[in-house]
Order: sequence, then structure tokens, then C-alpha cells
Amino acid sequence: MAFYLTKRAISLLMVLLGLAVMIFVIARIVPGDPARIALGPLATAAQVEELRQEMGLNDPFYIQLWNYLSGLAQGDLGKSLLTSRPVMDDILQALPATFELVLATILLQIIISIPLGVLAAYYRDSWVDNVTRIVSLIGVVTPGFVLAIILQLLASYYLTFFPVTGRLSPTMDFQASITGLLLLDSLLSGRPDVFFDALRYICLPATALAAAGIGQVMRITRSSMIDVGSRDFIEAARAYGIPERVVTLRYMLRVASVAPLTILGLEFASLIGNAFIVEFVFSWPGIASYGVRTILQKDLNAVIGVVLVSGVFFVIANLTIDMLLGLIDPRHRIRGEQST
Amino acid sequence: MSNPILDISGLDISFTTYGQRSQILHDVSMRVGQGERVSLIGQSGSGKTVTMRAIIGTLPMPPATIDGGSIRFEGTELLTLDKRARNRLKGTGISIVLQDPLLSFNPLLTIGRQMDDIVRFADVRLGITRNKTERGERIFEVLRGVQLSDPERICQAYPIMLSGGMRQRVLIGMALLNNPRLLIADEPGTALDVTTQQEILVLLNKLVDETGMSLMLITHNLGVVREMADRVYVMERGRIVESGDRQTIFRKPEHEYTRSLMDAVPPLYGPSVTDVVHDGVNGPAIQVNDVCKDFPLRSGLLNRQIGVSRAVNHVDLSINRGDIFGIAGESGSGKTTLAKIMLGLFSPTSGDILIDGKSVKEMAGTKDFRRLVQIVYQNPGSSLNPKRSVADQLSVPLLFAGYNKADIKSRIDELLELVDLPARYASMYPHELSGGQKQRVAIARALSVNPKILVLDEPTSALDVLIQNVVIDLLKRLREELELTYVFISHDLSLMRNFCNRVAVMFRGEICEQGNTPEVFANPQHIYTRALLSSIPVLTDEEAAQKPTVDAGERQAVLSSTTTLN
Amino acid sequence: MTAQFDDMRQHRTLTSRQMAWYRFSRNPSALVGSAIVLSVFIAAIFAPYIATSPQSAGAHVDFINRHSPPSWEFLFGTDNVGRDIFSRVVYGYRVSLGLVIGVLGVAVPFGVCLGLAAGYFGGKVEFIIMRFTDIMLAIPPLAMALAITAVLSPNLINAMIAITLLWWTWHTRLIYRIVKAQMTEDYVEAAKVAGASHFHIMFRELLPNCVSAISVKISLDAGFVILFGAALSFLGLGVQPPTPDLGTMVSTGSEYLPEFWWEALMPGLAILYAILGFNLLGDGLRDMMDVEL
Repeated sequence: MAFYLTKRAISLLMVLLGLAVMIFVIARIVPGDPARIALGPLATAAQVEELRQEMGLNDPFYIQLWNYLSGLAQGDLGKSLLTSRPVMDDILQALPATFELVLATILLQIIISIPLGVLAAYYRDSWVDNVTRIVSLIGVVTPGFVLAIILQLLASYYLTFFPVTGRLSPTMDFQASITGLLLLDSLLSGRPDVFFDALRYICLPATALAAAGIGQVMRITRSSMIDVGSRDFIEAARAYGIPERVVTLRYMLRVASVAPLTILGLEFASLIGNAFIVEFVFSWPGIASYGVRTILQKDLNAVIGVVLVSGVFFVIANLTIDMLLGLIDPRHRIRGEQST
Repeated sequence: MSNPILDISGLDISFTTYGQRSQILHDVSMRVGQGERVSLIGQSGSGKTVTMRAIIGTLPMPPATIDGGSIRFEGTELLTLDKRARNRLKGTGISIVLQDPLLSFNPLLTIGRQMDDIVRFADVRLGITRNKTERGERIFEVLRGVQLSDPERICQAYPIMLSGGMRQRVLIGMALLNNPRLLIADEPGTALDVTTQQEILVLLNKLVDETGMSLMLITHNLGVVREMADRVYVMERGRIVESGDRQTIFRKPEHEYTRSLMDAVPPLYGPSVTDVVHDGVNGPAIQVNDVCKDFPLRSGLLNRQIGVSRAVNHVDLSINRGDIFGIAGESGSGKTTLAKIMLGLFSPTSGDILIDGKSVKEMAGTKDFRRLVQIVYQNPGSSLNPKRSVADQLSVPLLFAGYNKADIKSRIDELLELVDLPARYASMYPHELSGGQKQRVAIARALSVNPKILVLDEPTSALDVLIQNVVIDLLKRLREELELTYVFISHDLSLMRNFCNRVAVMFRGEICEQGNTPEVFANPQHIYTRALLSSIPVLTDEEAAQKPTVDAGERQAVLSSTTTLN
Repeated sequence: MTAQFDDMRQHRTLTSRQMAWYRFSRNPSALVGSAIVLSVFIAAIFAPYIATSPQSAGAHVDFINRHSPPSWEFLFGTDNVGRDIFSRVVYGYRVSLGLVIGVLGVAVPFGVCLGLAAGYFGGKVEFIIMRFTDIMLAIPPLAMALAITAVLSPNLINAMIAITLLWWTWHTRLIYRIVKAQMTEDYVEAAKVAGASHFHIMFRELLPNCVSAISVKISLDAGFVILFGAALSFLGLGVQPPTPDLGTMVSTGSEYLPEFWWEALMPGLAILYAILGFNLLGDGLRDMMDVEL
């Protein structure tokens, strides 16, 4: 297991390195002078040139790349072109909020979609199946921003219990200083009032963000359950007298859960992408909000930082899922170790 | 039979698919007596498996509907029995062994866990209380009963860690955990090599003897039936066409279908064997000179090569023009690798193959080489592209041999005629053809550029037994007409006995024995050849008596172990 | 379905075409989906004839009728400068479908070719292509597209480029997986033995076996490209006014929420309608052709 994970981690690290190089290359290919952006249209050519020199933009490409990568290795993402603050600091400040939102979203997706998928497969072709199918379809086809707006509309009129923007009531005096996650830190420091307040705030954005994935994971779970249900070993288990409930949960779901887990990993990039819109609409103070803001301001260094951190997120998520798959499926481990 | 354990009468079952309803079982009646061994014989699609599912109660309904009849087990009507009572019988009254040993296991749970589940839930149904250790003792006892020597380690293993033969043993053990009175076995051992299959059959017979349970064996292999059944039912297209005790059916089959099934099995010994004679005065077509082939074994974080596995080990062969040269061996013996080296698809690690006196190494990939050697694969379902029409597929070799459009068209008509297919088949797609027709198309494709040598890689083993002979006859005729040389690769020694004039037996990458077919079969020298021949199920006692005998020690020496983990 | 119906296969008398049609005609999602997709295409192609107020598609101003609720005259109501939202939606479909065709027209062939090459050649080619694909998959597509359009200046063409740059990866993965599985089939080796060229094997033998999966994927993709384009526009980084774009309309309309709800909701529902159509069609095709994505 450890061996298998090391192997996966190494290949994901390679992805990460490639990602950094790729983003840097794209950023340099794209027309537009970062120095000009930083100084604004009123600066003189001499001022721009001076800044170019200072930022190392006149060095040969490979030296720039090297400087950039060695900076990265030390956790340095460069300085914001507009505020001159280190990008890393800004991102670290915004990161926990996004992490919390994404974690809540994935939990929501798993809690809702897997049981519904199992139900739909169990009552295949009945009204239960049809209802879940329609629900999942609505989730998949509703654009995240439309859903976000609808939820806000509902919240401002009917569901006033749920706040429309932000992460915590301004009246709450609380600093999430342990993990940065409000929900977790509030519990750790014995502040249930903060916990419930934060819970109120996270409900709507997490729902808006989870909808698309819920539909997809539900469908995959259903078809995977049906597929596994037709395999020989299920028939054998039934014929040996294993009760239907145990056959469904231990035999079918366990095998069938591999597919939805894989999808969760693959769709993680889209999830982060959607977070950009959802955070924007709900003014959630995460890196996606920060990203949209810096993109609109053409703050190139910050943009690179945000995209890169999103990539890291993706890599970590996939490593976690690999680990889960390895725990569930011995074939995964054994195949990973034999490696052909 | 005073008191049958299983009594099926007048069973009608139909299926509804794509809005069309078709009856699958017609008035099926059969009985299994206490402690009796009964075989249900039929080809794929005859309704055997549906019958089995109806008995154990795993028939998917819908699409299936039971339209009439009854199934009684120990006097109780199963079809109207309430769900609880019926579930109580599962695994304890009636148990099954499914066909594919790997697919019958939950791949994610250890063997021990799966077996424990079976015992535990049966205990719940029967109201027995046993703790985990007691259940574990029962599991070990059963595993030892199926001759697995290290039950502890087997219980900790996952299904993929076991060999095919061991999986089959464990599977039988699973079925027996709760002492069923009736065991239904669906094609046991057919997915395995013939020597392993033989061990499994012996084991099943022994278990029936020891436990006194009844056995219902579902199979298409008549040789297996002869060793495993007291009584026989023959099923064709959902109807029982003949039944009776084994002796009578094997001596005097009444129904035409039974007779054709019997005739389709090539004899291994005795007067009905055909000797194929061919004198090799025409000179050598293929010379295999000291060929070895290694495949790298890789492992570790950097995927470094840690060693090699030798698939073909110092093989020397000389195949004459006009020969039908058989290469026999079980899976993993290296016979297919050798064939691929002959075709230039793999390059040998050392040694060389000369075809028509010219080195394969130099010729591989050239037009001339393609006009010399072609191949027919085992499974036409895989060797024909499902998305391309027959004409498209036949035109590929022609296109790359430089034929122009008009020539290709006329050549395709010629080829279809050559393999007895009507010209209109040119526009059809593989899924519109039967297995035998597909194999004809594959043969036509191999012959399209007039090669001199055909490598036949188990060309009949994916086909139903009745069609096998038709394809073999076609191959014989084509060889006469086109003066071909065949390299016939197979695990089916009975078929080789009647089709090849020379054979070589491959064992762990080496040729352990070769010679003229009648001599090799009459007087096999190598232990492995003898073990192989002795394992083949045959149709008559006379043939069985002529098989070579192998004692257990010798057997152990040449066969891969199916009873211990390595 | 594999083991379960073994015994029935012999008794089928339907041809595969009839079976496919049977499945299609009994598949409500395929039928509804194709109807919706057809209506969206008709609306886009015949926009000038269908739009009740074609001049609304441009920078038209009609202050008398601004913020009119839906009525017979203005089916979906009017916006903040009095333009007919229904007419703008119809024209908006032109932009959306144009985006779909532009993106998929480039991304699909590119992704399919890479997937074919990676699966067929294996070895180093596979390693390079698939690692490259893995890297591109790790980039959140919306974030990347945002970044690119922002730096390049936001307009339809740049949005198209940005989406295309990331979209091919999914097709590469899909085709790679199919080809990898097909490579174990003997017909590939048979073609090699017959002397077929690499080109022939990739495009004549392997590609036909990918077609059904590709068509399902394209149908599902079309919906998501529309969504994607709309999302970019919503953030102000896609199509620029006064060109009628559904995402931009939702974004502008949402400023007048909740009073003039139709201004955001109607274009929003129009997006949903088109995506729903493509999704239903894709699902229907998937059931019909029995493909797994």
C-alpha cells in the first residue's frame, strides 16, 4: 500500500511540475506586457523598461523559468503586479475558505448522491428511479450561476434563514486560527454558536456548487450498481443465501463505489472551476473570488498563482481518492505494485 | 426412482426483450434422484442456464416469466413457495457452482470473509448460533475437503491471488459450506486447462461419493458426462429431446441431435480415428532453429527491469511443405508466442526462423512475406472488426498488396465462393453472421493474397462443437485445392489426432516431444504428453482403456499445483 | 447484461438496426432531447424570422417599454433598455451554437487524433501524450479560460480559443481508453499481418469503433460548452454587448433582481432548455448504442 501510494504520489508530482511549467509558458506566450499592466497606461516607456529589468523579464526564457520554478520550490509565487504584496500570502489567506467550501460540497455530494443512486438502481424502472433521474438531470443541466442566483432569490424572500453573501455574521467575534476552517475550528474551540452561524452561511454556496456533481455521481452510482448486479458473483452470493440487504450493500455497493469515486476525482477540476462562479456570486472570501478579482484586473502573477494552487488542489484530491480506491479494491493495490 | 430430490415437470419459461416475447423453455421435465448424478447436455443457447436459474431462483423477472409447470425440491413446490422459505433453501438445500471461477468471487473481499458470510447468514436462517472460530473451523474443514492444503493462507488471500484451479476448488468449497443436498454445477472446469479440469472432475466425484449429495451437472462436453453422470438429459432449443441412463445414451443415442453431438467429438483412440499421412518429400517450409523468446519483467518505483520470463526456450522444429503440423500445449506453454514469432510479430531473443529458406527477421513486414504466411485466429468475434463490412475486411490485405479496385472486387467474390459463402455476404457486418460464418470470412481473409502457409491458432475452439467439424472439413478441402501448409496450434488433442500428420507438444516453453501423430499418440514418451493424454475426457470405455496412465507422483511433477499457494 | 441473457441470444430475430430504433422510440429522453435540440437549431438558423422584434438583437433602445413583464407582445418581457428578451434569446442561440461548433469542431478532431495515437502506438508516444493530457486535466477549465480571455481581451473568438485549449483532453482520454481496450482484440493484429499501414489501422479499423462513444460525448459536450460560454459571459469575460448572449443577459438581468425577475430568469431558463436538450439526447443515444463513457 505504501509502495503503491509513493508511486502514485511521484506521478502526481510530475503532473504538478508539468503544470507549473505549462502555466508559466502559457503566461509568457500570451500577448501583453506584465510590466505595462503593473504600471498602467500612463507610465513612460523608460519606467516600463526599468520594471521589466527589475522583474527579470528581459532574461532568456529558460532563466526566467528556472527562477520561477526555484521560487515555487520555496513557496514563492512572486508579487502581485498591483498591490506588490506576495501572492502566496494572499492565497494562503483565502485558501481555508475555499477548502471548507469544497470539502462541504464533496460531503454533500457523497451523502446525497450515493444513497439515491443505490435506491434508483434497486428500484430500477419504477417511479423512484424516474424521480431520481429527473432530479439528477436538473442538477446536471442547471448552470451553476443560474442556480446560485435562484438560490439567492429564494433566500432573500423565503428562506431568509440562510444569509445571501459572506462566510460568517459580522457580529461573530471569532478567528479561525487552528485549521482555518470555521466549522472545524469553532467546534475545536467550543463555540457552537459560531459553528451554527457558519453552517447557515455555507449551505447555499455548497448546494449551488454541489448540484452538478450530485446529478453525475448519482447516475454513475446507479449504472455501476446495475452493472455489478448482473455479475456472476452477485448471482452466486444470492444462490448461497446471502440476504438481499447484505448483497446490495456489501457486495454490490462496495464494488460499484469504485466508479463514482473515480468520477469525483476527475470532476474535481470542474468543481474548482465552478467554485469561481459560486464564490463570486455569494461573495465567499476564497481563492476563487480572489482569482476572479485578479483576473479582471489582469494581475498576471496572481492569476498564475491561483491557477497553480487550483492544480495542487486537484492533485491532492486525486491522491486522496487513489488512496481510498486502494483501500477498497485490492486489485488496485496489487496492480499498482506489479506495474506492467 | 421412488423419491426424487428434484422433480421438474412441464416447465415453460419465456423472455420478453425489445417488446418481443419468445419462449425459451418448452415443457421441460426432469428428475434428480437422491445421491444421483444427472447431466444436462446442450450447446450454448439451448436453455441449460435458464433451467438452472429457475431451480435456484435467480431468474431475472422481468424479463423472464414462468408460464407453467412445476419445480419440486424434496416434495416442496418451489415456484409457489414464499420468499422466506425459499431463501432458507439457498445454499443449504440447493447450491451452485457457476461456470467462471474468477467472476464468481467478490473481487474486493478476501476468500475467508466471503466464506464466513455464507456460513453466518445460513446459520441465521437456520437458527444456529456459532461464533467466528467455530465458523472458521467449518471453513477450514471444507477447504481441506476440496484438497487445499493451506486453508489459513487461502482465507487471507483475495481471489485474484489464486490460480484458476485453486479458485475452482475454493468455489466448490463455497457451495458445500452448508452441506447442500443438491449441487448444481455449471460447466465446472471448462474455463481451465484439460489437466486441471480432470482434477476438478475427480474431486467432484469424490465429494458426491463422500457426502451422498445429488449432483446436477450442466455441460456441453460429452466426455465429461461419461465420467460424471448416472443419467443424462439432452436439451436442444429449450426442449428435452432425449433422456436415459448414461450407458444407453452413449451406446444407442436415439435422437438425431444427440447423435450429431456424439459424432462431433473426434475420437482419440480406436478404429474410428483417421490417420493423416503425408510424406515430406517436398522439402521444409518452416525451419525453427534454436529459437528463444524472453519477455522482460519489470517492477519497482522506476519500472526497472528485474529479470526475464522465458516464453519460448530453445525450440527446434522443421515443418515440411504440405504438412499439417500440430503444436499442442496448455495455456502459457508458449505455443502462441512461437506462432507470433513465425509471423514476424515478435522478434526472437535468439535463434532464427527460416520460411521457404529465407529468414523471417529479414522478411517480416514485406509484401513477399505476407504472400508466404498468414494467420487465422481463435475467435472470429475478435479477429473481425465489428464495425466493418465483410468486403471491407477482405479488401485490407489486397489493398496493401497493391491490387486495384476492380481486382479487389472480383477477388472478394472469388474468396467468398472459396469458403462457401454467398456473394451477398460481402455487404454484411460481423454481427449479422453466425460464429461459423465469421470464421469462414476470417479464413477467406487469410487466403486473400494466396499465402503458402497458414498458421491456425485454435481456429475451432471458440465455435460450437457441431460447427467445428464443418470448419475443419473446409480447412482440409482448402489445403488440397490450394496446396497449403498448416501450422495448427491447439490444446484439443483429440482434434489433432484426426487432423494433423505431425505433432509437437510444448511444455513450459520447450518442445518436449514431437513426431508423426499416430506414433506420438500410440506411444507417448514424455510424462507431460502422457499426463495430457490421460486427462482428456473420451466417449467410450474402450478409448479410456487405451489412454496412457500416469501415477500421482508423475502428475505432480509436471503439472502446476492447484492445491497450494506459492 | 452479459451472463444474464446468454440463453436468449439465439432467439433474437430483430436486426440491430431495428433494435436500435426500438430502443430510441421507447426512450423518452432521446425523443424529447432530439425535439429540444431541433427547436434550438431552428431558432438559431431562422432567428430573423422567428424573433418578434429583430432590431432588439442589436443596440436598440426603447425606453417606453423598458422592464415590461412577459406579455403577448413581449413573450419573455423586456430588459433595462426595452429590448425584447425573447428575440434576444433567439439570437443568443446563434452565438451559443456558433461557440459549440467552433469549439467542438477543433477540439474533437484534435483530441480524437491524440487519443488514437496514444492508444495505438503505446510506449513513449503514449507516455508523452497522456502525461500532457493529465497535466491539462489538472487545470480547472473555467479558471484557465478566465485567465486567458482576461489577458487576451474578452470576446467570442478568444472565449472559443480558451475553451478549445482545454476541451480536447476529455476526448483524448475517452478515445485512449477505448483504443487501449480495442488493441487487445485480434482484428488489430490481423490488420498488421495483412500489411495495413498505421494510418489505415488508426482511422479505418479503430476509429469506427469509437464513433458511437464520440457521438454521445459530443451531444453531452454541446450542452456543457453552452454552459461554459454562458458562465464566461456571466463574469463579463465572454461575448461583449451589444451582441445578444445568454450569459451576459443573465448577468445584466441579475442586477434588477428580484423586481424584474424575468430579465435574469428567462435567459437562464433558455440556457437550461438548450443544455437539457443536448443532455437528454446524449443520454438517449447512450442507452441506444450501449456505450459507456
